[in-house]
Amino acid sequence: MSKLITALNNLATLEELAKKETTIHDLHPISKMFTTLIYLVVVISFNKYNLSGLIPFILYPVLMMAMAEIPYKPLVSRILIALPFSFFAAISNIFFEKTVAFQAFSVLITFGMISFTSIIFKTILTVMAVLILVSTTPVTKVARELIRIRVPKIFVIQMMLTYRYISVLIEETGNMITAYHMRSPKQKGIEMDHMGTFAGQLLLRSFDRADRIYYAMKCRGFDGEYRFAGSNKLNAVDWIYMVTLTGLFIGMRFINISIILGGIFGF
Amino acid sequence: MHMADALISPVVGAVMLAASTGTIAYSVSKLKDGLEEKKIPLMGIMGAFVFSAQMINFTIPATGSSGHIGGGILLAALLGPYAGFLVITSVLLIQALFFGDGGLLALGCNIFNLGFFTCFVAYPLIYKPIQKKGISAKTITIGAIIAVVIGLQLGAFGVVVETLASGKTELPFGTFVLLMQPIHLAIGLIEGIVVSSVLCFIFKFSPDILENALSGAKNGVSSKTGAKNGNVSKKKILIGLLLLAFFIGGFLSMFASTNPDGLEWAINNVIGAPELMGQQGIQSVIADIQDQLTILPGYNFKAVDGEPAKVGTSISGIVGGLMTLAFACAIGFVITKLKRKKSCRN
Repeated sequence: MSKLITALNNLATLEELAKKETTIHDLHPISKMFTTLIYLVVVISFNKYNLSGLIPFILYPVLMMAMAEIPYKPLVSRILIALPFSFFAAISNIFFEKTVAFQAFSVLITFGMISFTSIIFKTILTVMAVLILVSTTPVTKVARELIRIRVPKIFVIQMMLTYRYISVLIEETGNMITAYHMRSPKQKGIEMDHMGTFAGQLLLRSFDRADRIYYAMKCRGFDGEYRFAGSNKLNAVDWIYMVTLTGLFIGMRFINISIILGGIFGF
Repeated sequence: MHMADALISPVVGAVMLAASTGTIAYSVSKLKDGLEEKKIPLMGIMGAFVFSAQMINFTIPATGSSGHIGGGILLAALLGPYAGFLVITSVLLIQALFFGDGGLLALGCNIFNLGFFTCFVAYPLIYKPIQKKGISAKTITIGAIIAVVIGLQLGAFGVVVETLASGKTELPFGTFVLLMQPIHLAIGLIEGIVVSSVLCFIFKFSPDILENALSGAKNGVSSKTGAKNGNVSKKKILIGLLLLAFFIGGFLSMFASTNPDGLEWAINNVIGAPELMGQQGIQSVIADIQDQLTILPGYNFKAVDGEPAKVGTSISGIVGGLMTLAFACAIGFVITKLKRKKSCRN
């Protein structure tokens, strides 16, 4: 049950955050989507040993989160979801790459340790960048831009419907789980033998619901099209944001700010 | 099994994204002609169903652990491979965007591992042929279990190939395969049993859903293309897609082998030498500025293996990095404080 509640809360929090009115929220979705994409590509393009070049990239998410008033709590839960696989793949580096890179005070730092840290750091950066995008841009606007960049309409519409009905079906699943546990207390999850009937029931209910949704949509004039209101042009601020940030990211990819800063202070 | 952005290289991400985009375009084109308007809400709600169903933890007998349902084969069996693939793609996109499960750049890898292998390999080559002589609870059970196991095995192998081709992990190929495949064999068996029991339940109460998906008449594939050219063209396309997969696999492994993680290469990377070497002009100007601004010149950490210059540079990178980190946090803190102050005044 806690998983279902967490998912519901997660969606509600992101929807609420996306409704805020800050400078970052006001930017055009395309400029934010493009900037995020370039940021992700640049961050993952660093090789696993170049930790120092990667660290300055924390500036972008920290600044954006502060400016867009995004709390750090949802970030932690997302990192906890993303981390296990990265951790599993990265921890092996510590054991398989034991060549000493350098010595800091009396501690020997190996290449494996550096690559482990850089993979974990990259995970945090990439998760933060996507969080910033979805918590400053409402999902309807993302859908509009996906259609604009010629992502097939069928795909976008059914994705939007999936997104909308996740919370409805999660609630229904939650009710079914509560009913199940009331009849079989002290049981951790659903018994495997009962899964076929349990998920099957949910599935049949979903099919019925899909029918009802279709008729309701038809009554309100659904003809397979997805319509958006308002103008959709990028203004000067959007262009400046997009060009400046992507330029900075690309620049930071080739100029290692950490080394320059460390050099200035004599290290 | 969702791959994260941090574990892939841009080349692997781009190649897999291109392969997945191609498969999406192909699925859309197959659906477009015969897609009933009514099927769009059905596809949407099926995505939500898979999402919610994956959150139901069930207890695995005699182990004390829990598992969750798999999506690919279930969707393909209920909606047909094309609609099923689109639905699993949208679920993966929503998971990446709103739940931090799998990254945006790794989306291509995840679509391929969890959607392509199940909908376009395991479904048509295993599940569907088993139902050929007539659909029954027995054929559904056998077909679903084998298809889920094979789909998951291929997906897990895809994860291994894509991660190693990205060159982020030091795990040797053999060890990685031995770690991934047996675990996913066990997971696949459990998932397969559960998926088959869900499908058997549906078959008992509403057999037309599974029969329609199998015949392809009502799941969106136009009856013209499905009946006349269906078998031949599907086979050709499948072979084409498999060849594409092998080509991609071969290409990626070639790419991986041309980037050996040698020590020399590694040292260069730690100190950021190649990136800076290409910037002679900028580098020399910055070096001049550094010389003038240096506060503690001549200080260096103890050398390891007689590499004082390189060690020094890497230390400066780490110290500089930590300073940047502190600086970033300070800026974030100040902006948040200022914003709060402003909103309190308002």
